[in-house]
Amino acid sequence: MDQRLEQLVEALTTSGEPELNPKQLKELKQICKSSDEHIRHVYHLLMTQLNQEHAEIRLSAFQIVSELFARSHQFRTLLIDNFQEFLELTVETNYLQPLPPPIEVAQKMKTLAIKAVQEWHEKFGEAYKKLSLGYNFLKQKKKVDFQDVRARTLAQRKREEEKQKRLETIYQEKAKRAKTEMEGMMADIQFCLTEMENCFKLLLPDPDEFNLIQEDTGENSSSSQPKPNRVLPSQSCDLDDEQPCCSKDLPAVGPSHENGVEKTSKDSDSEESDDDFEAVEESFIRDHGFGSHKYSLDIEISRDLKVSENEDNTDVVNSLKDSQKLAKNKYWPSLQSWIQIFTKAGITDESLRCAIDLKNKLEAAMKKHKEMNIECTTRERKVVRVSDDEEEDDFEEVPEKEGYEPHIPDHLRAEYGLEPSPSSSSSSSVKKIEVRKPAQSLAAPKRKRNDDELDPTCAAATLKVMRDKISAHSSSSGKNSNSKNPKREDELSRAPVVPFGIDLHFWGKEQPTAGKILKFSSQHRFWAPNETEEETENKELEAMLKTRYISFPGKFEPVTHKCRAPLPNGSLCERQDRIKCPFHGKIIPRNEIGVPINPKDREREAKEKFEKRATEQDWRDPELMREIEQATGEDLGSSRIAGKSKKKGKKKKYPNLTDLKQEANTTRFRLEKKVFHPGSVKRVISAMNQMDKRRHEKFANQFNYALN
Amino acid sequence: MLGLLWSRVCGLDSPVHLTRAEATRRVLSLELNKDRDVERMHENGINTLDIDPVEGRYMLSGGSDCMIVLYDLENLTKKPSFTCKALCKIGKGHPDVHKFSVETVQWYPHDTGLFTSSSFDKTLKIWDTNSLRLAELFQFDGNVYSHHMSPLATKHSLIAVGTKNPKVQLCDLKSGSSSHILQGHRGEVLSVCWSPRYDFILATASTDSRVKLWDIRKASGCLITLDQHNGEKSKSSSEAMNTAHNGRVNGLCFSSDGLHLLTLGTDNRMRLWNSATGENTLVNYGKISNTSRKCMKFTVSAACNPDFAFVPVDSTIAVYTIHTGEKISVLKGHYSDVDCCVFHPFYQNLYSGGKDCDILAWVPAMREPVPDEDSEKSRSQAHIHPAFQDAWSSSEEDE
Repeated sequence: MDQRLEQLVEALTTSGEPELNPKQLKELKQICKSSDEHIRHVYHLLMTQLNQEHAEIRLSAFQIVSELFARSHQFRTLLIDNFQEFLELTVETNYLQPLPPPIEVAQKMKTLAIKAVQEWHEKFGEAYKKLSLGYNFLKQKKKVDFQDVRARTLAQRKREEEKQKRLETIYQEKAKRAKTEMEGMMADIQFCLTEMENCFKLLLPDPDEFNLIQEDTGENSSSSQPKPNRVLPSQSCDLDDEQPCCSKDLPAVGPSHENGVEKTSKDSDSEESDDDFEAVEESFIRDHGFGSHKYSLDIEISRDLKVSENEDNTDVVNSLKDSQKLAKNKYWPSLQSWIQIFTKAGITDESLRCAIDLKNKLEAAMKKHKEMNIECTTRERKVVRVSDDEEEDDFEEVPEKEGYEPHIPDHLRAEYGLEPSPSSSSSSSVKKIEVRKPAQSLAAPKRKRNDDELDPTCAAATLKVMRDKISAHSSSSGKNSNSKNPKREDELSRAPVVPFGIDLHFWGKEQPTAGKILKFSSQHRFWAPNETEEETENKELEAMLKTRYISFPGKFEPVTHKCRAPLPNGSLCERQDRIKCPFHGKIIPRNEIGVPINPKDREREAKEKFEKRATEQDWRDPELMREIEQATGEDLGSSRIAGKSKKKGKKKKYPNLTDLKQEANTTRFRLEKKVFHPGSVKRVISAMNQMDKRRHEKFANQFNYALN
Repeated sequence: MLGLLWSRVCGLDSPVHLTRAEATRRVLSLELNKDRDVERMHENGINTLDIDPVEGRYMLSGGSDCMIVLYDLENLTKKPSFTCKALCKIGKGHPDVHKFSVETVQWYPHDTGLFTSSSFDKTLKIWDTNSLRLAELFQFDGNVYSHHMSPLATKHSLIAVGTKNPKVQLCDLKSGSSSHILQGHRGEVLSVCWSPRYDFILATASTDSRVKLWDIRKASGCLITLDQHNGEKSKSSSEAMNTAHNGRVNGLCFSSDGLHLLTLGTDNRMRLWNSATGENTLVNYGKISNTSRKCMKFTVSAACNPDFAFVPVDSTIAVYTIHTGEKISVLKGHYSDVDCCVFHPFYQNLYSGGKDCDILAWVPAMREPVPDEDSEKSRSQAHIHPAFQDAWSSSEEDE
């Protein structure tokens, strides 16, 4: 009877179903009903099942418990005696002991358990003191809301709170770091801002300051010398031409009202009636030679500003551009991140305000910069221009040069002993061709011989030698190959290009000094034997100078065929080896199910298979081995030989349950398995020990290394 | 029991014999009783309980929620089911309430008109029970872990206070100031306890794993530092090396006759010492799980033979016989850690408080009526609560 009980409990709890099997349950109840002894037994069985680290087992066990709880007094006393543990296992009252996975099932069990506790309390609460205590405990201490379906217990809330707290501390720390960082960078940002501001002022005077000028003119009417220097010279000189005639003699107002100033005179009443303003006006009229003050000046200032860079304001524009770049690429993003950090950390004090202020200022400055629309002549262009200008210059700056120069400027060609190239622009490309593909282009039109060509230090001499050589070569071989010209050209196009070398230099000629080494028999400084020079020939050296290695690997052709040997899992081998698969041997043509097309191959394969099986079977009987293993307790490897199906059945005891290990099989888990494998750990340890040892040996005599 | 009564009537036994036997029987049958409740007042864990020694009627409780509650334990309703009512409380709103967790409460040993409480807010407060006003206040420079007044002293009225400071302070109620300082410990003093046998003997336990016995009349230092090895291991070294436990010592309790001292340490051990000689009696109680950083309030039974110790172990209370170390039973009822328990010497009740905010009353089980006849049996069955009956469904009965 007891055995049957155990079987039933195990079958019921490991079914993995959300509901219990009614037939089995009925049988179980029948057995329990027969005696109290069985109830005690079943109680212990269920408690062990409830302790399993699998939510599905627990859920099923809990369902049986609730069935029995409603029926048997004996069972109730037993369970309530141990009610704390029961609550820990089903309602998760101890937050150090979370419910096991899978999570959904655990959640379901929890809600069910809470509901059950409530029902039990209503039904049996007054009779069982501990039950009502437990109910009160859940209600008041664990703050379980019995109406709440989600049933978040205190444990859960606590965990969340802890997480929140941790995050908060991290944010606080970050904010602190950002604060110090900001304090460090504040000065820089401020400096950058002021610099930009000043640049703006220099480039474009503030409209507010126009008034200032006007007031100045008004107040200092006697001097009548307003300050034109407030305006940038660049603008003033630009504007000089544009100004209408009447404003030509208005040094103050004219320039200050910059680009595209249009003045239309109209009869109108002066709308200003202020006395002192009138006085100002009068002096203004007198100063500027207006007939009366019955003018009304409509000044249109075009909105689209355009500041163009010229030699006068280059430095200003450059520094502005630098600081703008700095602001945009460095300060603005860091300010942004600080503000984010502060808001996340919930800091609303001076630093946040300061950061926001700074950001606004920066943004304003950047906007201004954008609006100013500075027409920049980029630095790269300037450099180019400088090199262009050099033609007219007196060779003041000679760029450094070393050895061979692929590009020779036109004006220097004479100096190098070269004829002026046909088109200066294509000189470099021509040159390139000459060097790279001597065979093709050096058969080009004949050129005048130059005296310079005799000078071996000249590039021209080298070129001439090459030209001569190639023309000779082509003439020797080309005469009879004229008829096969298209073919030759085709070959030429395919021919590899090799860099120039010493072997090409002496092409077809005997190298005079090849492999010859000067040998001094005496090492003395003054005393030397008569035959001072002694040349010895070295064959190897000579060969080295005369030969050239050209690696010609050919073209890579990807493998298109696959091994296609049948695999045990039913698919075909996907390996793409050229000749031989490391697992299945030589690659042979196979049909779509992996059977060799050649009957010979098929025969061979079948034979091999049979032989393999035979060799395995004759001395390793898995059954026998397993028996031996059981008897001796040593692993002989029977599981490896035994069929896979058997192994699986053995491993998976309860096929209906969700496999928790399957879920745990993540990348992290697999990596962990590799990294924390005892073998690898051991290896690392030994390596580290060795390193330590080496250091100890190295610094054995120094006391300050001796201790660590 | 009838036999005992008969021999008492005949004068065969000494007077204490009957009471002892009955008290022991009652202690052994302690269980959670559905008829006895203690009103739920605290919102946080309960740290300390004390029953007044004069009448045995009033109980004080102090909790982590800074509250002190006064309960009436007497059942005057003449009904079996009874809830101990809270008479009054010193909680939020009271002008002199403790600011932090109340660690110890104790009645004045000779009168219920006065009680003392100490708290983590570094104060020891003396209260007038009747007016519920503060009578006296002692300030310290560290958290107060525990305090104790001598239960039988008539010649002095000193309160021993164990604080974060290694020095044990003695506060005199007569003068209202701290009169003595006992120097010797090197860690926080977690527990202090006066001997119930001698007026001037005091035991203190500290985080430096030492338990010291003091005679407060002796000026130079402590009487004995208890040594768990009885001097065998440290013969060569001085007495200063003696330790009582291998960890913090956070529980102290004299046996009811004062001849023995029980100590509880975070090495999960309880030790029994001869309080006169300071000798470790080497009684093995087994493992007693204990990780608390504060004082553990455990208690011993009175007037029983053998004597029992009630020790909070996690969420249960273990009952040991003091002299043999045998674990008699485990009282399970709390749903969270138990911090304190107190024994009612008159009715052999046990009250326990824990972190689940409940005070549970453990009451001796009633003797089961001995069934005489079948008719009586059936009648008693009828009286059983319906919840105690089995409820197997009829459909199963059919099969």
